[in-house]
Amino acid sequence: MTDTGDARALVSLTLSFRPLAAQIGPLRTLLSDLCKPHLADADGLSRLLLAAHELLENIVKYSVGEAAEFHLLLEAKATGLIVRLRTKNRAAPERMADARWRLDALAKAPNAIAHYDELIRESAGRRDVSGLGLARIPAETEMQLCYATEQDWLILTAEGNASERVNG
Amino acid sequence: MSAFSLTTVGGEGFQVTPALIDFNLRLVFTGSGDMNATGVINDYLKLVHEEAIRLGLAQVSCDFKQLTFMNSSCFKSFVVWIDTVKNSEIRYQIAFLTNPSLPWQRRSLEALRRLAANLVTIETIA
Repeated sequence: MTDTGDARALVSLTLSFRPLAAQIGPLRTLLSDLCKPHLADADGLSRLLLAAHELLENIVKYSVGEAAEFHLLLEAKATGLIVRLRTKNRAAPERMADARWRLDALAKAPNAIAHYDELIRESAGRRDVSGLGLARIPAETEMQLCYATEQDWLILTAEGNASERVNG
Repeated sequence: MSAFSLTTVGGEGFQVTPALIDFNLRLVFTGSGDMNATGVINDYLKLVHEEAIRLGLAQVSCDFKQLTFMNSSCFKSFVVWIDTVKNSEIRYQIAFLTNPSLPWQRRSLEALRRLAANLVTIETIA
């Protein structure tokens, strides 16, 4: 993970909540309002919101139990902005196994876009769940996605760079 | 042959409005393609394909100028639709009309174009 030695937090948001689909839209709006003043261009904000949306939908769809966590950190460093998104939720054993399988395959893939294209081709003939949401994050946002587990908790972290708005 | 049968679908937060001009069908998407829209898009694109085949359409255009976001489940519905057209004996072109001020569109739709480069085009609209 990022060395935060010379970093200053521009936005730091930690949310513990019972995830509901109806909350994703308002949360996206909140994240947009918080981060937009610090980002140099619409593309940076678009990538951040896409990753946040997919991570939030992931916990809405697959978390078990009442509690889940969402963290956003937007930090300024000498080299630019660091965006870090993290979710933590409890997952059923079969969902945990599926997530690990998908995330391990993603980590092993030498090219995130080629891996995503392959998943798209494989998913075309299936009419069940998408299975594309997590792979979409590195392919379309250039953020790195990694995971950790703590017993039945799944922790996903997406991290990437963005350009900082220069005022004046 | 019966008349054009597609109607506007969706509701608050997401809507698709069809318009048939000559042999080109234009679908105007507005709002956010999120979890609430997934079922609507999935069902609608099946009807679009049936209608396109029935009417012998040359092209279906998806106008995304006012589509603020599309999640991966809605995206998957487009994957299935494009794959269906790709494997159909009768094919038609699919054009995505994008809004340059919504950068996610170009990124997401490029993946659909790579899925079927001979069927899918991406255009920018002002």
